[in-house]
Amino acid sequence: MSQEPVAIVGMGVLLPGAANTGQYWQNIITGTDAITDVPAARWDPSFHGTTGTAPDQTHGRRGGFVSDTVDFDPLGFGIPPTDVDGMEPDQLAALATAVAAIEDAGGFDRLGDRSKVGVILGRGGYLSPGLLRFDQRVRTVRQITRTVQELVPSAGPEVLDRLRTALLEPLGEFRAQTAIGLVPNLAASRIANRLDLFGPAYTVDAACASSLVAVDQAISELIRRRCDVVLAGGVHHTHDDTLWSMFTQIGALSPSQRISPLSKDADGLLIGEGTAIVMLKRLDDARANGDRVYAVLRGSGTSSDGKGASLLSPSVAGQVLALQRAWSAADLDPTSIGLLEAHGTATKAGDAAELATLTEVFGPADDGPRPVIGSVKSMIGHTLPTAGIAGLVKVALALHHRTLPPTLHCEDPNPLVETTRFRTISAAEDWETDWPRRAAVNAFGFGGVNAHVVLEEADHAPKRRVQVHEPERILRIAAQTGDELLDLLDRPRTTEGSGRFRIGIVGPTESTLALARRVAAKVVAEGKPWRGAKDIWCTTEPLLQATDAKTAFLFPGLEGDSTPNCADVARQFGRPAPHWSTETLLDHAESVTHVGMLLNDALDRLGITPGALAGHSVGEWTAMQVAGMYDSGPAKDLVDRYWPDGFTVPNTEFLVLGCSPDIAEPLYSGLNVVLSHDNAPQQTIACGTPDAIQQLAETCRGAGVIARTLPFRSGFHTPFLTPHLKPFASLIQDLDFHPGQLPVWSATTVAPYPTDPQAIRDLYLTHLVRKVRFRELIKTLYDDSFRVFVQVGAGQLGSFVSDTLQEAEHLVIGAASGFRSGLSQLRRVATALWVEGAQPQFDVLEPRTVRLNTSNALLSLPANARGLLEPMVDLPAGVSDEIVAEFTALLAETRRSAASVIAAYAGNRTAETTVEVSLTAMPYLRDHRFFRQRDGWPDESDYWPVVPATALVDIACRQVEKAWPGTVAIGIQDATFARWLLAEPATTVKVAMNREDGQVRVDLGSYAQMTVKIAPSYPVAPPAPVITATETQPPHTAAEIYTYREMFHGPAYRGLAVLHGIGRNHIRGRLVVPPAPGALLDNVGQLLGCWMLANETDNLLAFPRGIKRVTWYAPEPEPGVEVECVAEIRAEPDLLEMTAHLIQDGQVLARVDSWRDVRFPCDRSAHRVYTYPDRNRLSTMHPDGTASVTDRWPSLAAREFYAGVYLNRAERTAYATCPPREQRGWLLRRIAIKDAVRALIGEPIYPAELHVHDDEKNVSGLQGRTLPPLSITVTSDSNSAHALATPLGSPA
Amino acid sequence: MTTSLIVFDTVAELLAPLVGDLDLLDLEITPDSTFHEELGLQSIDLVTFAGILAEHFGPDVNLAEHLAQKDLDEVIELTVGAIATFVSDRLAQRG
Repeated sequence: MSQEPVAIVGMGVLLPGAANTGQYWQNIITGTDAITDVPAARWDPSFHGTTGTAPDQTHGRRGGFVSDTVDFDPLGFGIPPTDVDGMEPDQLAALATAVAAIEDAGGFDRLGDRSKVGVILGRGGYLSPGLLRFDQRVRTVRQITRTVQELVPSAGPEVLDRLRTALLEPLGEFRAQTAIGLVPNLAASRIANRLDLFGPAYTVDAACASSLVAVDQAISELIRRRCDVVLAGGVHHTHDDTLWSMFTQIGALSPSQRISPLSKDADGLLIGEGTAIVMLKRLDDARANGDRVYAVLRGSGTSSDGKGASLLSPSVAGQVLALQRAWSAADLDPTSIGLLEAHGTATKAGDAAELATLTEVFGPADDGPRPVIGSVKSMIGHTLPTAGIAGLVKVALALHHRTLPPTLHCEDPNPLVETTRFRTISAAEDWETDWPRRAAVNAFGFGGVNAHVVLEEADHAPKRRVQVHEPERILRIAAQTGDELLDLLDRPRTTEGSGRFRIGIVGPTESTLALARRVAAKVVAEGKPWRGAKDIWCTTEPLLQATDAKTAFLFPGLEGDSTPNCADVARQFGRPAPHWSTETLLDHAESVTHVGMLLNDALDRLGITPGALAGHSVGEWTAMQVAGMYDSGPAKDLVDRYWPDGFTVPNTEFLVLGCSPDIAEPLYSGLNVVLSHDNAPQQTIACGTPDAIQQLAETCRGAGVIARTLPFRSGFHTPFLTPHLKPFASLIQDLDFHPGQLPVWSATTVAPYPTDPQAIRDLYLTHLVRKVRFRELIKTLYDDSFRVFVQVGAGQLGSFVSDTLQEAEHLVIGAASGFRSGLSQLRRVATALWVEGAQPQFDVLEPRTVRLNTSNALLSLPANARGLLEPMVDLPAGVSDEIVAEFTALLAETRRSAASVIAAYAGNRTAETTVEVSLTAMPYLRDHRFFRQRDGWPDESDYWPVVPATALVDIACRQVEKAWPGTVAIGIQDATFARWLLAEPATTVKVAMNREDGQVRVDLGSYAQMTVKIAPSYPVAPPAPVITATETQPPHTAAEIYTYREMFHGPAYRGLAVLHGIGRNHIRGRLVVPPAPGALLDNVGQLLGCWMLANETDNLLAFPRGIKRVTWYAPEPEPGVEVECVAEIRAEPDLLEMTAHLIQDGQVLARVDSWRDVRFPCDRSAHRVYTYPDRNRLSTMHPDGTASVTDRWPSLAAREFYAGVYLNRAERTAYATCPPREQRGWLLRRIAIKDAVRALIGEPIYPAELHVHDDEKNVSGLQGRTLPPLSITVTSDSNSAHALATPLGSPA
Repeated sequence: MTTSLIVFDTVAELLAPLVGDLDLLDLEITPDSTFHEELGLQSIDLVTFAGILAEHFGPDVNLAEHLAQKDLDEVIELTVGAIATFVSDRLAQRG
């Protein structure tokens, strides 16, 4: 009986010259030689390319190297940037490649039950870069200092200590988790950990056979059904000098520095590196699941050489055994082979033994057809543990593409090849054969371990579009005139220009550029826009530049279509991938909602914001949730609670009719059928009993009306649902409804939702039993100036819009697609909207890359430490011994006295350093912008990217630890925060540290001061507090806190995961440690903010002013770790005071005592001005258009805050130079003027977009904001200002 | 079941306005062109097209009836050639 076949369903590679499988295959068939010289950064002239024979020299100067920059976002998988640098590069490479393999297989859903997914990787126990760097830190530095001490006995402890510090400096900061990350098996375990897999995850070491042995083990796990999916492969990112030396010493490293396996000229190998991983499933499962199968693994065999050979020279008998075992397991005739991937080390002994093995297993040369033999080592070098899987991927691709791949440098084959049945080829050939195509891979390791895998082509592969790995370029050109547009298009540059003549092209190629020129010429000539065909958008009248033109987000309901692609979107924006299930109606609705919310978030990050939301059918629920009208929680909980006997719907079916309601009505009259959806002029949905629907379908066919039943039943939007409404009614009675943050339009009433909670509830129920009037809704939105419609999900909703609006100018585009990757689709959305005048943030779609730290260079002293020993040893030659001794003694004495003077002066009690505070040094501060501005606003200073108080605490602690290595900052006390520290413009902050035993007083410039407590270890944790006070459900969920901008924080600071409960004097929540430094404690502050916004109505501005004490009982956990937080709070009108405990796994992790926020006057409406400054005003508007604003801020700090909301950079400068006594009136007048102008214009405008001239009579728009000519009058008295803006030419 | 070239050309000609500016797009409608993926048409466009066919060839060229016998995947992968064949068959049945 043959071994159960196993399918390769996905593959990923990171190999020399190839960042993905597409590139790898291209390189293989085009015969690309990816061998290069040792890259400059790794080149050591004292080692590489030398002529000596000692082990510390090698003639080697060429090899296979992978790019250090990998398209992968570790943060998307919960690995913070701080952990990346110290990490073994192979762990990152393995994780990135595993993810690539899974994505290649169609995404994470293809993994199925994660409890049965294993990871088995071949990995050698070589000296890897991370381990080497750790060894340098642990041993080499000690070795050097000891040697220096032995060489220069006069070098005392201080000099040696300086030497030690200087040597350690380039190695960077050491973190305990870095050491844990050096455990070798983590290459596999980290994949299981980050991808949440519960099958076995381990590495195997069988030298150069490692990865094929891993595949053999994977097959066995699958066949024994211990796993349903295994990620198998090999990792090797270790160009260590010891490895190069070893191959040099045993004579295996090619003297000619060319690797030519199977060639007569073969003289040895070149070393490569890389990772390749395949995703394996049992063939039956793959077929059942509709997976694309690259190739089928039919058999595998392994063996050892026994005593047959020496450890270094291979044994034919041992190899033969592995091959025979594999073919016998496959139960196939070896002579049916068409392609053999040889191990092909290109050493004399290795190639000879392998060719002898082939003759024995496949028979000697005969007159029959000659299968092809080759080795990818000729192109990428010997990747050691990865070699077998690199060959396996090559062979699987060859079977998939039915192409025989060439081998390089083998024009003159080894004469022994002639004795085998095989032939080598130097150019790719079509693989013509009688079905089935078969192939096999060899991998043989040092010490005599052999592996062989037999593959066969998959009978047929379902068509799948080729995945585009390179992010598509986007070309955008704007011009003032049509001629200019055409001119710019002839020589496209990256600059975008300005003007209303616009074109955007996604993924421009030569041919699309040619098309784009024809399109642009036509659009310019005829004025009729071009929207989307061939990924080109072009217009002369951007829709959104028209007055009042708005964008609507449309959320799809349930459709029979495929899964939307958006896993990559979730990853890009650090969000969990939405789970997609259509198993039950509620699962389906929930899936659609999750996708909608994810895409809404992505669009928001892109800077695409709607003027209103609407939904189709249950898509309305998504729209309501996005607008913050309610949060229902998980569908499963709802079913448990409201449908304990199961969710039931009427026994009805939907029939989609290709006609209007007018035509449909006579067709169903007399039947038990009602109209449920009026979607578009050419689409109507009818709902009725199955019999009636059947009858209607037949009538329709007779009448030539296309009719299809939907693949799900719900009876929604019809009176059929009325008897089933009760659970819905109890559900919505329990839900807490709020007015939407944005208008949400109802397709039941064709009007915005009401704001009164009870009215919302009523409409919620009506929506379930009345028809969906989507066609009318779209017409009405159009009449209300909505011109751009973004379908926030996949499916056909957009076509209803086009069908309804026909020739009326509009743009409709889907934010997700069933066949394009999520990010590719968003690129199209951004491009299309840009052409229509929006200003999307294209950069948020850029791929995230990570650098593999493969550095294994020798330690080098920083420039300032060189020459440290010079005065001791740098004496002219020929000086007598006595003089040297005397001189050395004199120098030593001088140095000692100098040292004691310095010690007396400062000792080691003070230290000083600087910290660069800028968005370059601290990019995460973009997620800590205090103020909102228009999307794409270019002046970063107007956002106020502010360093959080807790980041100042973090800076102080980290700098103290750095200044006194070996100490741990266990907390701080008496921290005061005096001034805002902004990252734009960049500043350098002086950090002055003054140590007194276990306490270090730290001054961070004039911004903050505190005392950092240091100790050798953490104190013992106190018991966790118990809260007995009553509490209620917080008004918002944790997610909503950010969605509604209750907190302004961006992703790097968003740690609130669950708000458990809130009481009169406390709040409890769960935090997930966010990635930014200091963000965990910042989240404690956010909890305080949540408590305040829920419990207080005024004085809603609160900023940390001081912290009495923070004590850590354990190291701050890594990002991604869950921590519970209990905060007890006392509120006074001008102060909030909090004591908080952070609890991890039931143990107190940290305690915060007396965190004090000062509060400033700010009621709910003023707070709205802060959260949504574009559409709210501080001023009161009078009927005649006068805006009046009254001073509500008694303190300078509060005034500074409102100044920040209203002023732009130039105005802030003017404000600062204004005499103090005039500042108040000056600011009030600007607020009044800006509010008057904004009210007059009547569309959302950020105050910073308006510039009030010094004469206070003129206002101009900034950064593309245009204003009509205005007449401004303004007056002010001691504490108020009044302004009126009127269009010039109209009566005042 | 053969499709006359004349019928195919007529079907392609009728379809062209739905697809857009073929000349500009440098696009040719071939018997293998798929509605959704290659020509970028939505299922609602099929409704329009069914109407156009019936208007041009007569009501017995009933695409609605024809599509009713196909499952969703088949409709999605529908080619212009398949429609032309269907039209030819209908015309042939007129005798």
